[in-house]
Amino acid sequence: MPDRDKIEVLLRQRKVLADFGDVALQSEDMDAVLHEACRLVGEALGTGRAKVLEIEKGGESLLVRAGVGWAPEVVGHVRLPMDEHSSETYAIRRGKPVISQDITREDRFEVPAFMKEAGVVSLVNVPVFRPGRQAYGLLQVDDTQPRDFDQDHIEFLRTYATILGPVIDRLLKLEELRASEERFRAFVTASNDVVYRISPDWREMRDLRGRGFLADLSHAGRDWQEHFVHSEDREMVQAAIKDMTGNEDLVELEHRVRHPGGIAWVLSRAAAIRDAEGQIIEWLGAARDVTDRRAAEAALRESEERFRTIVETATDYAIFTTDPDGRIQLWPPGAQRIFGWTAEEAVGQAMEMTYTPEDRAAGVPENERREAREKGHAPNVRFHMRKDGSRVFIEGVARPLTARDGTVTGFVKVGQDVTERRATEEALRESEARFRQFGEASSDVLWIRECESLAYEYLSPAFETLYGLSREEALRGNHVLRWMELIHPDDRDRVLDLLRRVRKGENATETYRIIRPIDGQTRWVRNTDFPLWGKDGHVQRIGGLSHDATGEVESRERLELLVTELQHRTRNLIGVVNSIANQTMAHTGPTEAFREEFGHRLAALSRVQGLLSRAQQEPITLRALLTLELQALGAKEGERVRIDGPWVRIRPTNVQTLALVVHELATNARKYGALSEGGGRLSVTWYLRSGDEGQRVFIDWREDDLSPTDEGPSAAERGGGYGRLLIERALPYSLGATTTYELGRTELRCTIDLPLARGSRKPGTSHDQ
Amino acid sequence: MTSNPTLAGRRILIVEDDFVIAHDFATMIGQAGATVIGPVGTLLEAMKLIERTGHLDGAILDINLGGEMVYDLVDALQAQGVPVVFATGYDPAAIPARYASVPLCQKPIDPEQIARAIFG
Repeated sequence: MPDRDKIEVLLRQRKVLADFGDVALQSEDMDAVLHEACRLVGEALGTGRAKVLEIEKGGESLLVRAGVGWAPEVVGHVRLPMDEHSSETYAIRRGKPVISQDITREDRFEVPAFMKEAGVVSLVNVPVFRPGRQAYGLLQVDDTQPRDFDQDHIEFLRTYATILGPVIDRLLKLEELRASEERFRAFVTASNDVVYRISPDWREMRDLRGRGFLADLSHAGRDWQEHFVHSEDREMVQAAIKDMTGNEDLVELEHRVRHPGGIAWVLSRAAAIRDAEGQIIEWLGAARDVTDRRAAEAALRESEERFRTIVETATDYAIFTTDPDGRIQLWPPGAQRIFGWTAEEAVGQAMEMTYTPEDRAAGVPENERREAREKGHAPNVRFHMRKDGSRVFIEGVARPLTARDGTVTGFVKVGQDVTERRATEEALRESEARFRQFGEASSDVLWIRECESLAYEYLSPAFETLYGLSREEALRGNHVLRWMELIHPDDRDRVLDLLRRVRKGENATETYRIIRPIDGQTRWVRNTDFPLWGKDGHVQRIGGLSHDATGEVESRERLELLVTELQHRTRNLIGVVNSIANQTMAHTGPTEAFREEFGHRLAALSRVQGLLSRAQQEPITLRALLTLELQALGAKEGERVRIDGPWVRIRPTNVQTLALVVHELATNARKYGALSEGGGRLSVTWYLRSGDEGQRVFIDWREDDLSPTDEGPSAAERGGGYGRLLIERALPYSLGATTTYELGRTELRCTIDLPLARGSRKPGTSHDQ
Repeated sequence: MTSNPTLAGRRILIVEDDFVIAHDFATMIGQAGATVIGPVGTLLEAMKLIERTGHLDGAILDINLGGEMVYDLVDALQAQGVPVVFATGYDPAAIPARYASVPLCQKPIDPEQIARAIFG
């Protein structure tokens, strides 16, 4: 080759290198740069064909990455296996260009089919290395004619490849960076986490994507803590950062943040990003909302705490757990209190120690565990042993503790100490038994009825004797109707009323008749009923005592008969006395006057006996006494007769004397005074007053407008003597009364100032006793 | 030998709450020649009377004085050696055993019977 040509070639090669340098500096597009590299080298060597082969990942194939003079279906598509028989592989392994001047005569290498088809005859493979002799691939220059590539060409290609290596390296790194950034972006987009970048010293937040959870922060900010971190957690966050950033590449902490919806918990993790020298240039972090998780954890903690508190404070209950073989595992205070063993003494021991020796011998503990396993629970109601050997009655249950797969991991036993309750129940049973014995033995009928239905809850045996009906009969069907049938029809209303009153809460007594079905006898029953109150303050039951009062009623009736008889006899006797007086007078020269006066006085006495015999039932009043005597003379209250005064009771012991006095006054008034045909007015008034020795009644008997007659009886006569004797002497003598008696021409006045016994005033009007 | 006892010249106390009966007794005993002390109707009056009156030869006593029993007066009189007789409507069975020895005259009374009871 002539020198001129050679110089020209060299110059062209230098220009190619310079041109490529420009392209390589300007472009960041790998494909464009490689294409240009191929074009320029093809031009420089005058082949018009060149391509770049890139070692694919894994190092087992080469991809035609770029090419000039090749069909579109080749570039970017064709792959060559990296086997020992290829010149390409050989070149890479040797690290030097490999030349095939004529492939038809090449016996060292297999030439790929697509190249033969394209008419390639000669080629050069120049390996391309990235800095650090990391093989990238090959630059392959092809020609369709046999060609002898000289040393200059080879040198040029080596130089070209040497330039190409770092260019490719730079572009590859750029590509990787882009891919990495793309992946990061995709990651950030796909993640729900808050993502942030922060300065190495954690002072400056450089970027924060809030993801709708926190407010975005796109500019650098030194006030991020004030912005995001809950004020109470700032100190903790700062301390944690200080603590962890010294030597760790990962910072992790949980803290509360402020966000548009309020306060939330986040789990924040940040990784350090370091430069080539190992200096941290930035922290990249992600934060996640863990509020729900924290709340769930807190709820669980709280629930466990609550459960623990319940178990530990329920000291009335023995609650403990065992392993599957019955060895005690948990022994809380309740179990300690009831059984007496401390947790240290009990844990690890067989729960058999809480059983009585009899139960242990009978295999009760094993049976209980088996039953709990099989049925899910086993009742445990029996006496147990305490540490000190005493016995405690436990009412409880054993249940198996199961894992998720259903295997029994142990047992939980819950029991209550009911020793005292059982003792109380026992005492109650005894008390009830005693009550029953009492009821069975009583000759009175004891009974208890339910308040609403009035059904008998208890009926003592004496019922059968009293009512003449068996209890079976009495308790058949509706108890009340059945019982009502036994009661005398005239008394049923009173008896129903009695029950009504007791239902309302009264204590009540009623005496009524029954007709005994067994013998048709009528008997008297006195029922004393009382309400039995429930805890709610309402009458729940009615209790009662039924007493056979037949004897009492009969004796009272007899007594009444007797009193009547006595009264009858007294009056008869007075009659007989009267007759005897009359008979006597027949012999002794009677006077009509004697006969009349004596007869009237006896009649007054007789009337008074009538009043006295009823005094127990009906107090004798002054008014009754006056009315009785005046009526006996045919005088009634009206124009001429006035009777006026308060309610005053006269003592029975005073009645007879006072009645005789009234009789004398009235008889005289009838004969000579206000009640006589001569006319006049009678006024009897009285009032009460307090004297030195108690209550007194002042009685004022006045007769006015009497017809004046000079021929009338003298004052002494008018009283008949006897009347005045009674007034002026008998009243002071027997009753301690002070009396006056004055008779004028047309009027008469008699006053009686009579002391009353205690309680003589009408009840309810008293004010001085 | 003693003649029939008589009330003549005797000082006799009468205690009876019913005026009519007391009046009747007093009349009868007076007609029998005795000096009547009283009559009085209450225990209190009777007690006062025996304090201030002189010597008594005997006493006729109702047992029930308006509800008050006369026994305190009996004790007082017996302590002075005054013979006593009960004049009452009561059955002997109703009188306490302590006073069973006191003579009892059923009403209506008879002066001769009284005289026998006191001085017989």
